[in-house]
Parts: sequence; structure tokens; C-alpha cells
Amino acid sequence: MLDALTALVTETVADAAGEWDVAGEIPIDVLRGLGAKGVLCAEANPTFGGLGLSGAANGELAAHTGALCSSLRSVMTSQGMAAWTIQRFGDKAQRTEYIGRLTGGELAAVAFSEPGAGSDLAAMATEIRGDGDEIVVDGTKTWITVAAYADWILVFGRHERGAAVAVVPTSAPGVRVTRVAEPLGCRAGGHATVELDEVRLPAANLLAVAGQPALMLTTIALTYGRLSVAWGCVGILRACLAAVARHAATREQFGKPLLQHQLVARHLAELYAAERTATFACEQASRSWDAGSPEQVPASVLAKHVAAGNAARGAASAMQVLASAGAAGGHVVERAYRDAKLMEIIEGSNEICQLILAEHAASAAG
Amino acid sequence: MTDQTTDLTVADIEQRIGEFLQAKTRLTWEPEVDLFASGAVSSLFAMELVVFVESTFGVAVEGADLAMDKFRTVRSMSSLVTRLRTGGDGA
Repeated sequence: MLDALTALVTETVADAAGEWDVAGEIPIDVLRGLGAKGVLCAEANPTFGGLGLSGAANGELAAHTGALCSSLRSVMTSQGMAAWTIQRFGDKAQRTEYIGRLTGGELAAVAFSEPGAGSDLAAMATEIRGDGDEIVVDGTKTWITVAAYADWILVFGRHERGAAVAVVPTSAPGVRVTRVAEPLGCRAGGHATVELDEVRLPAANLLAVAGQPALMLTTIALTYGRLSVAWGCVGILRACLAAVARHAATREQFGKPLLQHQLVARHLAELYAAERTATFACEQASRSWDAGSPEQVPASVLAKHVAAGNAARGAASAMQVLASAGAAGGHVVERAYRDAKLMEIIEGSNEICQLILAEHAASAAG
Repeated sequence: MTDQTTDLTVADIEQRIGEFLQAKTRLTWEPEVDLFASGAVSSLFAMELVVFVESTFGVAVEGADLAMDKFRTVRSMSSLVTRLRTGGDGA
């Protein structure tokens, strides 16, 4: 099944990734088409129309997609995280309804960050309050991936003495979605600001697990997202590795191929090491995820941290080797250079990952 | 894994939870002590506990059961596990 899915993604993207990046948009029919085939959240349970892929196979799919187009991969991360969040926090009726819609071609975003709450998600100010048989959602979410394409958004917000998640259709009165102009990376990922002005919805739009600590809810949702981003970074590294290996073998300067210049060969060696170590970290985390091991939590943070750092450094060195051959807008290496930097910021910045890993290492050492 | 847990008593369940906590925190936990109030567990730990309970005892923690209070002490976790294993639907 994985081979069929990677082939489908390859065929769908074809040579359009650069064009999508420059335009800042993936045609909506492309996204809906992949969504309706279940590719965008391939781990979703077959009971709800999903493909039931293992975490490891879904990771390889994210890497394959990320090597072609990080914008499409970021849509995949968002859709998959939405399905996982509903699987974990929804009741049976909500799972059937919403995961069914996600595998039926609808598109979803997941909204955590706010003007005053980036790394410090516990500081979220968005409010989800009950009002009879309705809920009211009020606040502002920033840099929400996929929001510009989304049919609905899973909005995290304060609720009672903790936090909760509301399913907010983008067509609901009081919702305003404004695209981020020319984002640094994943330019066709549909990043947007989402303003929610007293948005009134049926109480059934509140996911069942409500009122729990924000950190617990965000950690659970983000574990999926971190793993997906980590695999996407592996894809970035693979694309850079292929581009550098090809270029260094064929481009000649000073009378010999670049590869025979030792300073260039070192770039290729380090890029290879970066791709391999990121892959190993991701494989280990996905094994823990598939085995239902508690290790999946720190392993996902480790994988994200290793893969994002490797991708940012690897893409920068690939840019250095390709030089003018890779610097035109939309080139795979030029995109990787911008996309990878963003990967060091989203789903837990380098520094937040380091704080979590330090805390984990300290408690493991007793 | 779940086959071996068919006849677990409350004491068995609490022992397994206690072993996991001890391995993770290097501390021994009395059944009624609040894990989260102690500051001895990391911010990631609530989710680790949920995954541990699900995989070790072959249960699905869903809906209203996915709550900090159900994981606050060894005793509250064993109560949850016992109820879920006997088919009670608290959600």
C-alpha cells in the first residue's frame, strides 16, 4: 500500500512543486483529490474511512512527500494531526463524523499559536465557553498551517478550568481567515491568521475531552505533529542529498568534478550523515509509536529536534554546493533552504525541544 | 500482552504501575500520593502514563476518562484500569 501511495503523490506533484511555491498556492482540487483518497491522513482508522497505515509507513509517506514539496507535506501533517486529535479527544459520534469527513475530501487545520502564545501554549487566551446547548469561541490564532484551505479548524482554547478543542467551520459567522503574505517557507501551505469573533456553534462541536490542562492536550496532539514534521525534514534532506550528489558528480571546476574537491566532498558526506541520523531517529520514534510504548513521547521530540536541525544545516550546505544552479526561485534546494529554517521553529522550536529533552534527560538520570 | 493480564488483581495492577513509575522517576510511590503535585514528573509525563496504561493493560482510555484526575495517583489509575477491563463505560 505504501508504494501505491508514494506513487500517487509522485504522480500528483509531478513537476509542479516549484510552481506552487512561487504562486504560494496548491490548487484546491489537488488537495481535495488526495484527501478523498485518504492520503493526507493515511493513519486514520479504516472504521472511519481511513487507510490504517502504520506510523512507520505514514512517516515514510511524509518523507517521500516532503522530498517533493514541503508545502504539501505540511498539509499532510495538519490533516493527520487533525485526525489524530479527533481520535484521541472526540467521542464515538465525533470520530465517525469528522474523521469520515477528513477521509472524504474535506480539509482541516489545527490551531494552537496566538499573538501572545507561541512557545508558551499554556498562555493561550482564546476562550471556548459553554452557553446552554451552544459553545462560543472567541480569540485570534496566528500562523495556522492550512487555514487558508480549510473547511474547518480544530481550535484549542481555554475552557472552564483547563483547555478544550472546538471544531470551527471556516464558514461560520464570525470567522475571518487572512493569509500570511509570502511566508518564509512552505509557501503554499496555506498559513493564515484566524480571527474568531464570538463564534457560536452547537455544543456537539466541542470535542469530548474538555477542561483538561492545556499542556496535556497540546502535548498529545503535538506528538503526532512532531513526528510528521520530523519525517518531512528527512524528506528535505533526501531531496538535498540527491541534488548535491548529482551536481557534484557532473559540474566541473578547475578541470575536475566538484566531488573531487575535498571541501565539496565534505559537504556531501555531512549531508549523507545528516539524512541517515535523522532517518534513524524517526524510525526509532515511529517504532515506539506503533508499539504503543510511552517512549514515543520523548522519542518524537528527539526525532523532531534532530531532523529539523539536520535539515536546516543540510539545506544550507546543499545551497552552498549548488550555488547559482540552485538559487532560482522554486528550485528544490532553494525551497529546501527556506522550508527547513521554518522546521526549526514550528511544532516546538529548537529551544523548546531542548528544554523538553533536558527535562527528560534529567528525570531519567534520577 | 493483554492475554497475560486477564486475571489481574488490583494489587497486581498497582504493582505494575508502581514499577513503571519507579523506573521513570527513581522514586517509590504510595497508592494515594499525587504524582503531579510533587513536581517529580515532567510535562510530557501525562501522555506517557496514558500510553503506558493503554498498552500494558489492553484498554482504550477515551472521552471523559482521558483526564488528569484519572492518572493523578497509582490508586486512581488502578481504579480506571479495573473499570475499563470489566467493560464499564465511564465515558
